[in-house]
Amino acid sequence: MIMSVELLPESTLSDVIGLMVRLVEFAGALVIFLGAAWAFVQFAKAGLKGRGRVAGFNRIRLSLGRFLVLGLEFQLAGDVLRTAVAPSFTEIGQLAAIAAIRTALNYFLGREIAQERAELARGEAPEGRRPAEGMPT
Amino acid sequence: MIPWAQGAALLVTAAGLVAAPAAYRMVGDARRALAVLLDFLTAAGLVRLSGDLSWNGVLTAAAVIALRHLITFGLTPSRSGSAPGARPWVR
Repeated sequence: MIMSVELLPESTLSDVIGLMVRLVEFAGALVIFLGAAWAFVQFAKAGLKGRGRVAGFNRIRLSLGRFLVLGLEFQLAGDVLRTAVAPSFTEIGQLAAIAAIRTALNYFLGREIAQERAELARGEAPEGRRPAEGMPT
Repeated sequence: MIPWAQGAALLVTAAGLVAAPAAYRMVGDARRALAVLLDFLTAAGLVRLSGDLSWNGVLTAAAVIALRHLITFGLTPSRSGSAPGARPWVR
């Protein structure tokens, strides 16, 4: 008679990873939501004050972009966790698509943030002027 | 889709619809105000995607993000200051 003792059953591991994925994804969504709420309040306050606040506008957009990137990092962490348990090719395909979208968006947002930061560092650029890389914001 | 993600995404979209006119009032530039709206729509898409791991959710988020980049690329003036769409393809 063969007796096997499973220290960590696969179903338990699946449940634990599923819970962790949900927590990490929720944290990412929360960061994005809080960033959007903060940016909304800032835009509303500045909008009520009136025109001529271009530097303030850039700072708010820069902060919103940072929140988006941070939330995306959390969501990518969730994707990495999901790769631990991906039982079907459909799930693996969905995971690959989502990870690709998030990675591409993270890359573009990172570039935009670097450009906005450079603009802020050298003062407000003239209207219509774009950085050398020419990426859209 | 998870209800909280749907609700949060709707709230972010509504916030964007209010923030864009505020941004326009702030800087007096429609292009920048549109960029703000698209930032909020991107945020809403990401929040929605965190609660919906399906092909439909993925494609919707990808479409929003691609549209955002397409619109901002089309509206960004070229370095020579010419009209949108007149961007030189050969550098």
